[in-house]
Amino acid sequence: MAELTAKAGSIWDFANPARFMGIANAVLPGLAAVTVACLAIGLWMAFNAPEDYQQGSSVLIMFIHVPSAWLSMMAYTVMALAALGTLVWRHPLADVSLRAAAPIGAAFTFLALITGSLWGKPMWGTWWVWDARLTSVLVLFIIYLGIIALARAIEEPSVAARALAIVTLVGYVNIPIIKFSVDWWNTLHQPASVSRLGRPAMDAAFLYPLMVMALAYTLIFLTLHLMNMRNEILRRRLRSMRMLAAREAGGA
Amino acid sequence: MLGQYAAYIVPAYAVSAAVIAGLTAWTLLQYRRRLREIATLEEKGVRRRAATRKGDG
Repeated sequence: MAELTAKAGSIWDFANPARFMGIANAVLPGLAAVTVACLAIGLWMAFNAPEDYQQGSSVLIMFIHVPSAWLSMMAYTVMALAALGTLVWRHPLADVSLRAAAPIGAAFTFLALITGSLWGKPMWGTWWVWDARLTSVLVLFIIYLGIIALARAIEEPSVAARALAIVTLVGYVNIPIIKFSVDWWNTLHQPASVSRLGRPAMDAAFLYPLMVMALAYTLIFLTLHLMNMRNEILRRRLRSMRMLAAREAGGA
Repeated sequence: MLGQYAAYIVPAYAVSAAVIAGLTAWTLLQYRRRLREIATLEEKGVRRRAATRKGDG
């Protein structure tokens, strides 16, 4: 304990799971309240936005599709950073963070695919096309499922942490492919209209609700990630208690 | 407000709400279940090792 607290003033402050739990418990109620408020404002702005001259009211789907798609990539980026934390710094919470982010990332990727499909049918005339953007996002979803399955398959924590970190980093190659797929290949999916050089190719009437919804989704991710990290720490605590109980029962 | 695309907008919002609410509920239920299981073990006299080692939850 002394060696951990001696390294005050760095990310190692949070290396003690008990301390992290204390911080998470203190932060979560406020974070959840801000998340709900931001989501309510975002939804109000979205439903009060005008109809798009081309998309009509289907632009409403964009306000949840685009944030889902952004978060599907952000969650994976958090996992890739956590993987570096495991492999390079051997931070005890890095693997906790990676495991906790995976189901949330998978959920957002699933939502990006479903809402995109529900927008594509009326606008493109098809639920699905095997173009580079859609296919690479489907690959991301499969990678998420693979990581979740791997996390459950390996019992030994240190072996699982290294395996998960390596697989996550290898899978990260897909993220730039998703981002730039619309520029590199001729896709049905439109190119970036917000994060591009110069001004966003979108009117403020749509851009502001989209930004607030993106912030709300980011806050949802942060809240769920903290909650899931807390669960993962408890799972480890439970595991070590059960092992101790089994050892005591065996030795008695 | 939803216009001619209501048949696509409503499912998109419904699925999003269901997935996010479901994930939140699952996370909360897991938290409560694990706290309860830890309390049960502690009642049986199983004490967790103090968090002295790195990586030990």
